[in-house]
Amino acid sequence: MVPYPAPAAPPGEPFQAIPDYLTDAVRGSKLIDIQDPVARAHEDEWLVVRCQLGERQAFDELIERWGAPIWRYARRLTNSDDAADDVSQNVWLRVLRGIHRLRDGSRLRAWLFGIARRTLMDRLREQYAVPNVTDVDVIELPAAVDASDDVEADLATVERELARLPVVEREVLTLFYLRELSLGEVADVLGVPAGTVKSRLFRARKLLRREIERTPESGGDS
Amino acid sequence: MTTPYDAPRCTLPPASAVALKQLVDAELSMPSRLGYVALLLAALTMTGVVGALWATEPTLPLRVHIAFGFMVGIGAAWVVFAVWVLTTRRILLARHRVIAGRMAVTFTSLFVCGALGLGITTGRPEPYTAAAVGVVMLGAAAWILIRAHRSFGRLTERRDLLEKEIGRRA
Repeated sequence: MVPYPAPAAPPGEPFQAIPDYLTDAVRGSKLIDIQDPVARAHEDEWLVVRCQLGERQAFDELIERWGAPIWRYARRLTNSDDAADDVSQNVWLRVLRGIHRLRDGSRLRAWLFGIARRTLMDRLREQYAVPNVTDVDVIELPAAVDASDDVEADLATVERELARLPVVEREVLTLFYLRELSLGEVADVLGVPAGTVKSRLFRARKLLRREIERTPESGGDS
Repeated sequence: MTTPYDAPRCTLPPASAVALKQLVDAELSMPSRLGYVALLLAALTMTGVVGALWATEPTLPLRVHIAFGFMVGIGAAWVVFAVWVLTTRRILLARHRVIAGRMAVTFTSLFVCGALGLGITTGRPEPYTAAAVGVVMLGAAAWILIRAHRSFGRLTERRDLLEKEIGRRA
C-alpha cells in the first residue's frame, strides 16, 4: 500500500502519526484526501477566488469537491441522514452568502468546517436546549453499512465505533484524521487552543481504541 | 480550464445533491440580483426626486409636508431593504458588482441629464436641485464602479497567478 502522509502540521508542530487502529484500509479509503498540502492550499484558494469573482462553475466545483465531506461530517456528528441533509443545506447557504468575505482562500478547509461546526452546534442547541455541546451525551445509533470487502468492513468498523463516541471526541477525530485538518486548523474550527485539541485527540484516540478492542468482529480483541 | 481536483472520492446521496443544486441555482440567480440592484436604484432616485421637491418648496401646507415625508420614508425603507438583500441574501460577487456599478452609473447619468434638461426647458429651480442630488448619486456610483473594477482586476490577477502555479506543480 502506498504510504499515507500524516495530516499537515503547521510549522513548529510535531509530526503526528496516524494511529494503528485507523487501519490502512481506512487511511486509503475514499474518505481521506491525499494531496500535497501546498498544492491543496493553492487549489483551495484558486477555487475561492473564482467563486469570489462570480464564476458559476466554480460553485459547482466547490460543492462537487466539498459537498460529500461536509455531508459525511454532519452525518457522523448527527448519526442521521435527514439531519445531515438539513445541516448540509444550511452550511452551503452560509457558504454561498459568506464566501466573498473569506480573505485567505487557502484556509478554505478550516473555514468550511468551521461553518459546518457552527451550524451543527446551532442545531444541537436547538435540539437539546443546552448552552454547551459538551453537555450533549453520546447518540447511540450504529450506522448501517453494507460492507462488501475487507476495506469496507474496516471502514464500517471505524465508522460504527466513531458513532459511539461522545460528540466532542467524534468531532475532533473526524476533523483531524478523516478530514486531514492540521492541529492549527482544527483549533480554528473548534475555537479552542491547540493544546486543548491535543488533549481532546489524546482522549478520543484512547476512547476509540477501547471501543474497537471491545468489539469482537473488529479483530481488536486479538 | 478543467479543474485540477481529483474526481470526488465520495459522493452525496442523490436526493441531497439535487437539493443542493436547487439551492445553488436559487442563491446564484443573476436576474434576482440585478432585480434588487434595479430596485435600489429606483428607490434611491425616487427618494432623491421627492426629497429635492420637498426641500425646494418650503411654503407648502402641513399636510403636503407630511405627504412628502411619508414618500421619502417609503423610498428610504425600500433602499434599506434592497441594501439588506444585496448584502446578506443575494450577495454581489466581483462580477456582479461590476455590472451593478455600470447599471448605477448609467441610471444616475440619465437622471442627471433628465433633471438638467427639465431645468433648462422650464427655467425652474427644482430640477436643478434634483440634478444636484443626481450628481452626488453619480459620484457615488462612479466610486462604486471603480472599486468594483479594482476588486475584479485584483481577483482575476490572483486567479491567473494561481492557475499558473497549479499548472507548474501538476
